[in-house]
Amino acid sequence: MGEVIVVTSGKGGVGKTTTSANIGTGLANNGHKVVLVDTDIGLRNLDVVLGLENRIVYDLVDVTSGNCRLKQALIKDKRFTNLFLLPAAQTKDKTAVNPEQMRTLCQELKAEFDYAIIDCPAGIEQGFRNAIAGADRAVVVCTPEVSAVRDADRIIGLLEASELRNPKLIINRLRPAMVKRGDMMDISDILDILAIELIGVVPEDESIVVSTNRGEPAVMDLGSQAGEAYRRITKRIQGEEVPLMNLEVPKGLMDRLKKLIGLS
Amino acid sequence: MTRTDHVALKGTRDGLVLYLDPAADFELLIEELSSLMKNSDQFLQGATLRCYAGKREFSEEEIAGLAAALKQSGLELAGWLTEDEVYLPKPRPSVSAEREARLEEGMVEGHCLFVERSMRSGKSVQYEGHVVVMGDVNPGAEIIATGNIVVLGSLKGVAHAGATGNREATVSAYHLAPTQLRIADLVTRAPDDGTEIRGPEIAKIKDDQLVVEAAGLSGWRSKAR
Repeated sequence: MGEVIVVTSGKGGVGKTTTSANIGTGLANNGHKVVLVDTDIGLRNLDVVLGLENRIVYDLVDVTSGNCRLKQALIKDKRFTNLFLLPAAQTKDKTAVNPEQMRTLCQELKAEFDYAIIDCPAGIEQGFRNAIAGADRAVVVCTPEVSAVRDADRIIGLLEASELRNPKLIINRLRPAMVKRGDMMDISDILDILAIELIGVVPEDESIVVSTNRGEPAVMDLGSQAGEAYRRITKRIQGEEVPLMNLEVPKGLMDRLKKLIGLS
Repeated sequence: MTRTDHVALKGTRDGLVLYLDPAADFELLIEELSSLMKNSDQFLQGATLRCYAGKREFSEEEIAGLAAALKQSGLELAGWLTEDEVYLPKPRPSVSAEREARLEEGMVEGHCLFVERSMRSGKSVQYEGHVVVMGDVNPGAEIIATGNIVVLGSLKGVAHAGATGNREATVSAYHLAPTQLRIADLVTRAPDDGTEIRGPEIAKIKDDQLVVEAAGLSGWRSKAR
């Protein structure tokens, strides 16, 4: 029996889809059978991020409304034979699916896969309720901004009200240099308010933009800092104990010289 | 019909009582009494009753006349009631008014709601009485109480104590940094600077001003701050 994990945030643009794609790909890379489900009906993105847009024939709404079998709608990934995508419909909206249908779908997926990663739309309306309906666990993505933290707080409250206890937190797009200057909320500021378990901090990384545009998740890029962060998050989701990534600002030449002559 | 303008006949726990208006003329009373008796049913036949006329004292003649008038209707005058014996209806305070009065008396006792977890953004608690939160109140959460508000953690959301206008109400928290703080009809907000922890504080109204004071601590706890 597999596990259904929903990736959510409340606020838009904090990296839910990128995180879903990277966690899904990372889990598949570690040998698990994984399905990624895009529940952002009407504004689908996950297929683009994975580079699978041109292979879509059937979608989530076709499955829930019985137009096709689940197997027909699942798209096999380019790189991994054990990674699948269930794309969202683009021509419908969130009301095309209801939470009951999602619960049934999740049960079906759990029987077939080790992990089902659900990419949740922004907001707290029907799309959100659909996405969390069949989930066993939740991962909340948050950026170090006051507005994102506020929305994440609300989402955590709603998750707890829906019996999805102990959601995990991923802080995305952190800029260590800005935090060091005191221009950005640091990790402890965020944890102070949200008070949930942190499973990863992803630094702001240009390679994410490149990999998203290419349709190749950064988790496969061994040279990318963000990729490394996602690899560690993947391990933690599998239940392994790994330390958080060291995000200290690399020391400049002067610092190293000072250290050499014993000034600091 | 058991009453006219100046005379009323009522059944009480201690039997029938005839109420006579102390200010009315005796002739008028007898007149009204007979018309009252004419209209009343046969079941009064043979009953005894007592009269009440406040502090007014009737002459012996008048009392005899009254007894005779009653006898005509088959009733017997058994005696007079004093002010202490008779039941006079008083305005009874309603239950909600009583409770309101109790709440207004002081902020010491009353109904209390315990919130046994942190309140996250979007959570709202409204309660008639005091509210105690055993955790934090995050920005975007709100508490509205008619009594006091106590937060055993950080208060960063909106708190309104004494919401029905009680200016005795207070808001206290281990870390008092609300988005907005309201007591009764006064509103204030936390200063824009300063996020440092100052220790437990209590907000109250003093001379029409909302003031924040360090919670009265003594001993090692105050020294630790």
